[in-house]
Amino acid sequence: MMHCTMDDVLALAAGEGSAWARQHVAGCPACRAELEALYQRVAQLKALPVRRPARDRWPAVRNAVVAERRRRRERWGVSGLAAAAVLAGLLVFRPFWTKPVDAAELARVKEQSATLEQQLQRYDPNGRVTSGRSAALAAALEDRIAVIDGELAQLGPAQAQARPADLVTLWQQRVELMEQLVSVHVTRAAYVGL
Amino acid sequence: MTISLAVPDILVARAKSGDLEALEALYRAFETPVYNLALRVLRRPEDAEDVLQDTFLEVVRSIKQYRGEGHLWGWIRQIATSKALMRIRQDRVRETEELHEESAVGAGNVGGAGEMRGTEGMSPGAVPAQIDLERAFERLSETSRAVVWLHDVEGYTHEEIAEQMGKTVSFSKSQLARAHVRLRRMLDEGVAR
Ligand SMILES: [Zn+2]
Repeated sequence: MMHCTMDDVLALAAGEGSAWARQHVAGCPACRAELEALYQRVAQLKALPVRRPARDRWPAVRNAVVAERRRRRERWGVSGLAAAAVLAGLLVFRPFWTKPVDAAELARVKEQSATLEQQLQRYDPNGRVTSGRSAALAAALEDRIAVIDGELAQLGPAQAQARPADLVTLWQQRVELMEQLVSVHVTRAAYVGL
Repeated sequence: MTISLAVPDILVARAKSGDLEALEALYRAFETPVYNLALRVLRRPEDAEDVLQDTFLEVVRSIKQYRGEGHLWGWIRQIATSKALMRIRQDRVRETEELHEESAVGAGNVGGAGEMRGTEGMSPGAVPAQIDLERAFERLSETSRAVVWLHDVEGYTHEEIAEQMGKTVSFSKSQLARAHVRLRRMLDEGVAR
């Protein structure tokens, strides 16, 4: 007698068995046992214990992300100045729906941000021994700056024009955070005797 | 293993804005299912951890593109699966080498080193039949393990598996059938024991 192949049994389990296979399995104890064994294997596989990683890989992910953001921010710092000039022009020449003061303020905070960025580049974050606390503080500030950069990136040119005040606020926040970051690095440098 | 990991929308929104704390919370929520999937397919803990790391690097980089269609776990699992499969492709040479090694060590071995390797990490309190199946499953090739795990445990369709592997639907079906024939044979013969 011809029995079901494993393909037939799998198809039956998936509810896609051929007419022949369905009829055969109804009258064949061996093939029914085969189907039952398949169900059991699948059930046992599903019930296998969940394994957990022995090591925490989040710090590695986090470090890679922070490093990527820092690189992006450095590029942003340079191109930011050019963008500021363009945007300032845009805002000045459309005075009906925006306050010119926004443009001036925007240009000012962006320039401030770029200056701070240059200042920060003098402090190589990996180059010297630091206290864990200031390193953690610097990392926390960098995270917050990265969040603001994310928001700035999401504010496309169209939205930026429509909401100049938001843009200025974000840049102001960025400058504040960067000032804090610089002061952390300055303190740190003093601490290690630089 | 059933995953019903509900993640609050607000957490996803914060993660999308780049907030590292929220991203870490997502990592904590999904590290175990991602690792477990990768380990079942790849078998080596270091490889599974690498997949875990690669998966979350991509999650962090591309979560802005996640539009919220379907469950977040479905999206993350898709990334994890493709990272694990990528590793299988990269490791094909290594796997061949390892099989040689294993057959040399395991030849005529009943209760020695092979037994040790097989038992460590087996769940304490699991019924013997389950331990046998776990061992038999681990003896399948990486590709077979991937197909069986994705289809039988994760509930992927053959179409989805074929797409993820860059193979045909019939490849996925025949891999699954061959893997089950092998599993059944190993269990019948007590090879896994
Ligand atoms: Zn039959």
